[in-house]
Amino acid sequence: MRKLFIISTTIFWLAVAGFWLSGKFHTAEKINETATVAQPALREYSLKQVASHNLESNCWMAIEGQVYDLTAYLPSHPSDPAIVLPWCGREASNAWQTKTVGRPHSSLAQHLLERYLIGKLGETP
Amino acid sequence: MSVPLSSATLHRLAAPFLVLAVVLPLVYFTYPANRTMWHSISIVTAWAGCGLLVASILLMIREPQISHLFGGLENMYLWHHRSGMLAYVLLLCHPLALAASSLPESAQLAWQALSPLGASWQIRPGWIALILLMFGLTSTFIVSLPYRRWRWMHMFLGLGVALGLAHVYAVAGNVYPLMLLIILTVAALGWRLFASDLGAVASSYRVTQVTHPGSDIIEARLVPNATALTIAPGQFVLSSFGEGPHYHGCGEYHPFTVSGIEKDGSISISIKALGPCSQRLQELEPGVMVRLQGPFGTFLQNAASLPQLWVAGGIGITPFIAALRAQPRTLPTTLLYLFGNEKSAAFLDELRMLAKSDPNFELLTHASSKGLPNFPELLGKVSQLAAREVFICGPQPMAEALVPCLLQQKIPEHLMHIEMYDFR
Repeated sequence: MRKLFIISTTIFWLAVAGFWLSGKFHTAEKINETATVAQPALREYSLKQVASHNLESNCWMAIEGQVYDLTAYLPSHPSDPAIVLPWCGREASNAWQTKTVGRPHSSLAQHLLERYLIGKLGETP
Repeated sequence: MSVPLSSATLHRLAAPFLVLAVVLPLVYFTYPANRTMWHSISIVTAWAGCGLLVASILLMIREPQISHLFGGLENMYLWHHRSGMLAYVLLLCHPLALAASSLPESAQLAWQALSPLGASWQIRPGWIALILLMFGLTSTFIVSLPYRRWRWMHMFLGLGVALGLAHVYAVAGNVYPLMLLIILTVAALGWRLFASDLGAVASSYRVTQVTHPGSDIIEARLVPNATALTIAPGQFVLSSFGEGPHYHGCGEYHPFTVSGIEKDGSISISIKALGPCSQRLQELEPGVMVRLQGPFGTFLQNAASLPQLWVAGGIGITPFIAALRAQPRTLPTTLLYLFGNEKSAAFLDELRMLAKSDPNFELLTHASSKGLPNFPELLGKVSQLAAREVFICGPQPMAEALVPCLLQQKIPEHLMHIEMYDFR
């Protein structure tokens, strides 16, 4: 077991170092590109339009005035699908800010969310 | 041909069964649906790791009946170590798999998911838990570490488990398998701390006599103040010695094998100066109060009806002298007693007397101040060796050198029983 401990700990720190180097040298070009390209194309959606995307296979959410298509992200969300899916097709700012248990999402989650931005929430309901 | 499982084997299998009984349902009920492969691996390794950690904590409860159920304290500790080590490996995989699941998005996101530096308050306890597990396990594998320092460092593992569960709560919220894990952990750690380490369920005894059967060895006679423990030869008790007129106990529970069991409920334990606490115990005096937990251990229990070979190294003589004092041997028994020199050999005169008076008991002695003896030559002196059941009690190097020689003599492994001094 001593060998297993030494080997597994060494591999772990090597992998952490690998992720660190990889993250350091592959900067956020992809994210920035997406943000730059997506911004001019932002269009407005009404809550009614958002409401028509209320399925696991087609899930939009309105969060803090922006509209996100989270269909592709749902499989990666850490919590139980039963917690997230009811917010598909809805204004979910409160759920986003509190995670329904009074805690905000992390900065990493904020970063991830930007990838799924498709438009703004319009004035019309 | 199938061999029916003995009761002792079934008890030993109860420990791995407990591990599976905690881990498998946990993984089943938390198995993530519709996730990417790496994300699924991350979640499964996290829950399986938590389950293994909790099983590991359950297996460190020191309670005589529970230890009997799981095939003895040594077997429980074996699976405590195995379960804890596997948990550690899986929990190392958890953040790496989580980072790997973000790699298709971007390498920077993957590092953000893993990085302990910019981690959110939900993630940070997970990282601290992992570092504490790493630190605590390092201490486990440093054999030369003094017991007290090892014990202190081992406590980081308990803190690591608590922080790990706090991390799961922060990330997953109030999910019912987690609540069950927390309840089990608090109950087991609470039992271990209050009942075992602080001795809330210990029995009260007092020292009435102290003798010196060998150099750096004392034998203490302990008389119960209330109900006596029911102890069999080969078993050990965890003992914490209190204060006397001139003696100051170290206040820790240490395992000592009983060397004598009297009909009036009093017992004798023999203590060799091996560490700071046992060194201080050499000054033990009558009148000191003792707290005892136990009995533990299955050594010399459930023996087959075969002639026996006992091999004792140094203070490893204690279970055998207890059995010899309890009653004459009913089966032909040869004791091979290995020691540094006759002065250090405890109970040597008493053993010689017993060998003269008990026709079923033969004593072979060997003094060797340097290194291990020539075991093939010594075993050559034992008649009908291949037909014997073997019981070995002594230091680990002695047992490790002896076992291959016994295997060469066609003694099957299931007829070899070993008690070593690696109880941590």
